[in-house]
Amino acid sequence: MSRDNKTAHHLTYPRFLLSAFWRASEGSWVFYTWMTALTAIALVGAHAWALQLANGMAVTAMTDHVSWGLYIANFTFLVGLAAGGVMMVVPAYLYDDHDMHDVVIIGELLAVAALVMALLFVVVDLGRPDRFWHMLPGIGRFHWPISMLSWDVIVLNGYLLLNLHVCGYLIYTRYLGKKPDPRWYRPFVFLSIAWAFSIHTVTAFLYAGLGGRPFWNSALLAPRFLASAFVTGPAFIVLVLQIVRRTTRFTVPEGAIQRLLSILRVTVLVNLFMVASEIFTIFYSGGAHAAAGRYLFLGLHGHAELVPWIWTAISFNVLAAIVIHTPALYRDRRVLNAALILTFVGVWIEKGMGLIVPGFVPSTLHEIVPYAPSKAEWQVCAGVWAFGLMIFTVIMKVGLQAMTGEMRAPSAESDAHTINNDDHAEEAR
Amino acid sequence: MADAKDSTSATDTTVKRRVALKVLATTLGAGAFAKAIAPIQQFTASTNAQEWLQKHYRELSSRELREVLARLEAETKQKYGREVTIEDVRPQAGVQFAYALNLSVCIGCRRCVEACHQENNHDRASHNSYIRVLEMEQGSMDMERGRADYDHPVRDEGKFYLPVQCQQCENPPCTKVCPVEATWKEPDGIVVVDYNWCIGCRYCEAACPYHARRFNWRKPEVPAHEINPKQSYLSNRIRPQGVVEKCTFCLHKTRKGELPACLEACPTGARVFGNVLDPNSSIRWVLENKRVYVLKEELGTRPRFFYFFDK
Amino acid sequence: MNAHSPPRALHAALTLWLAATAQCANRDVQERLYAPADASRDAALFAVSIHQPRWLEAISTGHTDALGRVVEVRCETCHSTQQFALPTSATTLGGPHAGMRFEHGSNQCASCHDPARFDRLRMATGESIPMTDAMRLCAQCHGPQARDYEHGAHGGMSGHWDLRRGGRTRNHCVDCHDSHAPRFPQFSPAPPPRDLPTHPHPRGSHG
Repeated sequence: MSRDNKTAHHLTYPRFLLSAFWRASEGSWVFYTWMTALTAIALVGAHAWALQLANGMAVTAMTDHVSWGLYIANFTFLVGLAAGGVMMVVPAYLYDDHDMHDVVIIGELLAVAALVMALLFVVVDLGRPDRFWHMLPGIGRFHWPISMLSWDVIVLNGYLLLNLHVCGYLIYTRYLGKKPDPRWYRPFVFLSIAWAFSIHTVTAFLYAGLGGRPFWNSALLAPRFLASAFVTGPAFIVLVLQIVRRTTRFTVPEGAIQRLLSILRVTVLVNLFMVASEIFTIFYSGGAHAAAGRYLFLGLHGHAELVPWIWTAISFNVLAAIVIHTPALYRDRRVLNAALILTFVGVWIEKGMGLIVPGFVPSTLHEIVPYAPSKAEWQVCAGVWAFGLMIFTVIMKVGLQAMTGEMRAPSAESDAHTINNDDHAEEAR
Repeated sequence: MADAKDSTSATDTTVKRRVALKVLATTLGAGAFAKAIAPIQQFTASTNAQEWLQKHYRELSSRELREVLARLEAETKQKYGREVTIEDVRPQAGVQFAYALNLSVCIGCRRCVEACHQENNHDRASHNSYIRVLEMEQGSMDMERGRADYDHPVRDEGKFYLPVQCQQCENPPCTKVCPVEATWKEPDGIVVVDYNWCIGCRYCEAACPYHARRFNWRKPEVPAHEINPKQSYLSNRIRPQGVVEKCTFCLHKTRKGELPACLEACPTGARVFGNVLDPNSSIRWVLENKRVYVLKEELGTRPRFFYFFDK
Repeated sequence: MNAHSPPRALHAALTLWLAATAQCANRDVQERLYAPADASRDAALFAVSIHQPRWLEAISTGHTDALGRVVEVRCETCHSTQQFALPTSATTLGGPHAGMRFEHGSNQCASCHDPARFDRLRMATGESIPMTDAMRLCAQCHGPQARDYEHGAHGGMSGHWDLRRGGRTRNHCVDCHDSHAPRFPQFSPAPPPRDLPTHPHPRGSHG
């Protein structure tokens, strides 16, 4: 800390930001193409959202029967993705997995990007986003602790701040060429582990607490959310780690990938087990409470709009589970990666069209009003994802370059400390 | 760009060129973004600073409320071309409202649905109403077997009719979930929404077990001559776009001692409304002498809307 | 490390919040949220009146006058000056009563009508009562309905639930029930709900 006190942060921090901006906008033609494409998609989404604001949410396919749709489905999924990043943090900090420790910042950066997307999906779902200030404690009327949504606002923003702090602190100290002071980030990391579980638990409680929606009103919902979050998080990160390996100087130890895959082997099965439990309860007991489940899995009263979705999701997840448990298959990285994409998409469907929509169909008066997202909804959805991926790309670029030592303050002491990635960076030069 | 040179071996001119390119790209991007979200202007034009800064209904002083009501009346005149009066009708001491509906005599004619549509200035295009009538199979209370879209002469043989509207629950799941307290239960039992405070998240709509809430998916349109000019802040004034609304037992009428519009429209007298605290009221007589039941009692919402049969 | 300890920050936030809430709950706002004491509490009650349908005292001739109004003729116009024989069934009726449908159990004309004076009704006790008192007659057989009516649980109405603040008008039995065929008729309901505003052919239903 003594050395920290000597640093004139009011001078170095702006320089750090400037340097970060410069580096974030430097790259190969692949990078520029990628960012340009994302920008274009994000602009299409922004335009669709502006039109939705001007003309009303009638441009979506939502109705008073299915009053939440694609937006809230994506929100739920992304909260899971953000929480899934913790599957890197737990081995790195609780079990001192050194390989994982080297790459753990990627999980935290993913949490930041996923949370930004999740919060954006809430904003685009609001009928009156202009009245956001009504939620601010003090000047608005924040209905805490009664409303589960108020809890969600707290835990999501809290988790975003925690991860921004941890990542920001680590990146900045690396930029300064200093060894991070554990007192400034370790407590926050441990807090963030518990917090990661809370964000997805609270999000599940949002639905599970509604007695009028039997499909959601299940104690299994929160555990199921966590299980599927711990499928998507590791699957996405394994894919990202391979991209990082190819496109940056950052060293990705194979141990980290293997650890994530072994976590995934368990969570994929746990998730499938929980889906099977739900299916058993629905079909063995039957009755009115099973109507939504019937509609989802088999179709009801001649309506079967969600049946293809859910069976696609289940077959994707089963296929992925088979691949990652069969050495002959997963040893081929292309097959493995295909399986990771399958399970990622599988959970996305399962949590969206497979979980949010059947909560509303049949409606509380047992009417079947089907829902399929409108063009405007798909556009906004793609826009938010594109914007989130832009954020993720940029913070990964800056973060990893600080970690490797490519981005350093002019005053940085080059011998401050050495870790794997610094060594790697030195070699690369 | 002070740090640019610490990692690039480029000359000053390349750096300058890159800076220029980045500035250009950023400008282009910002311009495109401004263009993309331009339709927002249409939205901002529909609202104003006073509305945006307006306090929660329950925090407005008498003077502030008078200003709000005057502003809303002026806006209705300007947007809908009709002189209306918007009052703030308060709950009466010693009054607790309850409603009962006789399923033996309801014939499913939807006159109540129409009366609600007109009384409460609902959007004409969507033909919105707070009441939904289910045609049920005789011999079954399973809503799974009911349907709301029947369109044939009523009452049909072998059927009974179940009108459903806000049950004004004692333990409302909808008010509990609201993140901004834009909806709450009033002292006389009516659950209301401050349409100027609602953020439109529709969590209440998901929480309601009775399909009682409606969202304004677009700006409601009502021709000037069809507007009911007797309005109140918490009930039938024309709602803004993007907020949730619901049945208020016509509080602009009932808090003045009048009967709700749906009851007055009922041709069969299936509906009974009144003050449960008055031992001589019709509603009390029904509750004490008929075998009444409530919808989805198992949810513990404790509705103030009761159903009964004559035989 | 000299950061704010979380509990202290939380306490500060809570204090701020409480102060804000207290300010909101000032007296003016509190007073505004409840109606002033009801001055009409002990006032005399307004009346409950029963609607008197015109056809209890008059009958349409099927003609309209120059202004388009239905020409009616009062019962006593014919029945106080002429004597008619009591018909054996409704189908044999002619004149202004031709084409009458009779579906009211096994009742005979004389079950309700006073054979001595056709413009009046006759109770089971033999008491002759005017047409306008028809509800007393109905109540002889329809006890449960009459009881429910008496308690406001049968029959349509309009006006006030609170009689301290205004009157109430109630329907007469014959407003809704044709005394000769009292079963409530079938008719077309108002249109069904339109549930899917974004779709041209909305249909929310069971398939």
